[in-house]
Amino acid sequence: MSAEGARIGDWRSRIPDAALLIWYGVAVFFLFAPIVAAIVYSFNTGVVNKQTATWTGWTLHWYPAAWYDLSLRRSVEQSFIVAFWTALVSVIVGAALGYAMVRHPVASVRRLLAGLTYVLLIVPESVIGVSLLLFYAVTRIPLSTATLVAGITPLTIAVVALIMRARVLTLDRRIEEAAADLGSSRLTTIRLIILPQVAPALLAGAVMAYTFAFDNLVVSAFLTTPQVNTLPVYLYGSLQYGPSPAVYAAASAVFVFTLVMLGIAGLIYRSSRRPPAAADA
Amino acid sequence: MTAVEITGHPRNPGGASAGALAPRATDHMLAAIPTLWLAVFFLAPLAFTVVFSFGRSTFGGVELGFTLDNYATALSGFYGATFLRTVIFAASASALCLAAAYPVAYFIARHTSRRRTLAILLILIPYFSSFLIRVMALHMLMSRGGASEIVLNALHLHDGPLDILDTQTAVFIGMVYAYLPIAIVPLFVVLDRIPRPLIEASRDLGASRLKTFLFVTLPLSRPGIATAVLLTAVPMLGEMVIPKLLGGSRGVLMGQAIASQYLQSQNYPLGSAMAVLVLIAVAVIVLALARLTKGFDEVAA
Repeated sequence: MSAEGARIGDWRSRIPDAALLIWYGVAVFFLFAPIVAAIVYSFNTGVVNKQTATWTGWTLHWYPAAWYDLSLRRSVEQSFIVAFWTALVSVIVGAALGYAMVRHPVASVRRLLAGLTYVLLIVPESVIGVSLLLFYAVTRIPLSTATLVAGITPLTIAVVALIMRARVLTLDRRIEEAAADLGSSRLTTIRLIILPQVAPALLAGAVMAYTFAFDNLVVSAFLTTPQVNTLPVYLYGSLQYGPSPAVYAAASAVFVFTLVMLGIAGLIYRSSRRPPAAADA
Repeated sequence: MTAVEITGHPRNPGGASAGALAPRATDHMLAAIPTLWLAVFFLAPLAFTVVFSFGRSTFGGVELGFTLDNYATALSGFYGATFLRTVIFAASASALCLAAAYPVAYFIARHTSRRRTLAILLILIPYFSSFLIRVMALHMLMSRGGASEIVLNALHLHDGPLDILDTQTAVFIGMVYAYLPIAIVPLFVVLDRIPRPLIEASRDLGASRLKTFLFVTLPLSRPGIATAVLLTAVPMLGEMVIPKLLGGSRGVLMGQAIASQYLQSQNYPLGSAMAVLVLIAVAVIVLALARLTKGFDEVAA
């Protein structure tokens, strides 16, 4: 870039770069403004336990209030449970899907699985939501945590599968063939050769699935019951009678917690990548 | 591949014995697990919706059969207008999202690795906070007496109270806000893969920066544009939270209309027909985008 600038030697050539930088800055500002506002307003006093757009003074009251609000706390716990099971199921099923998409011996099966994965991504959530509601109503399966997890998984499975597929495509097939030649069964090869290599990709997929499930609103809104009430559904419900600043406090605390967990996952990911690199050198 | 399989067996005497699964059986099992799971929890529910869309609504129930009445209702009057408005809305909001995202992705892709990671992280971090709380905060920022009103008045860009909430504009802002990161990522991935020497060659041959962009970078980023449009326009077709929170009672979109057929009116056949119409609109978008990326399949594979 600098060589190019010097060659043209014209201040006018810098204008596009400056414009791009400004545009990027505006975009980041636009993306962060509501988050910053949500965190700041979790310290807003509000009026009679309701959040207000106008600032009414600082208070630390809402964090303990959120902690001791039993229904709010139960919804956060419910979200953690749903997110955990969704991540677990998505990683198992998504890993199998992503692997089969690349390595299944029959080409038409590979194509079919890839097609199915893309369909999962392009069906709008509200359509899945109403379909699941209809499905459970007709089959008379009672709604529970399990049905909610099963309802969220199609999208998260697709995300895990695509991450898995991208990773498997980069693996050296000859290593798997060598393992087979040396008498290893397919399952042993997967366990000892494939899994260690794809573990970081699966971790990334699990994090994506977990975050997505924790935050899922649309499918959850159709499948929740008074007993199974996740945080986004609780927030959504609270909008009808005006949310308390406590929900902003709860959401802010969860956001900070998510960032810390992501940071830890990032560190694990980096350290897991280091040993093979050192072995290569 | 076949050569390896043939030589593999004689050297692998233990493979067939000891009750170990044959390689093929394991492969089939790996394909069967996700297929079965998705058949039950994804394809079957969608099939129910399609079947119900041809049914007839009776008092407190549904009579299955084959009638196109629901589609006729869904395409006429209030529902037809809602469908049309949703399609136009999704197309224009997606285009706006793309226009806003492209320069951002272009900016990120031009940076070297370390700064690039930071630049893309800044775009992705907001995505990890609660979607609903962000929309609620956006609502507060845009409401009367909120931060936008104060800032706009201070900058003399606007005078007096700001009445933007409960309008199409507010829904537009909300949609672009929510889907901007989703549009940036695929554009970034594609722009990042365009070989630098190609750009340099164009410049060396005398093309201006603008010409290089228009005739080299932009055409080569078509798959990214297609993915960005797909990942923004499709969810916008079904979006029900943003219009409800920021658009108020005016300008109901398809997502809300379908949900209310299921949750309030209990007219499952009509709701199903509307859901199928959304799926048809999705299919049209996919086909249109497949044309845009024609010839790129080989490169991607």
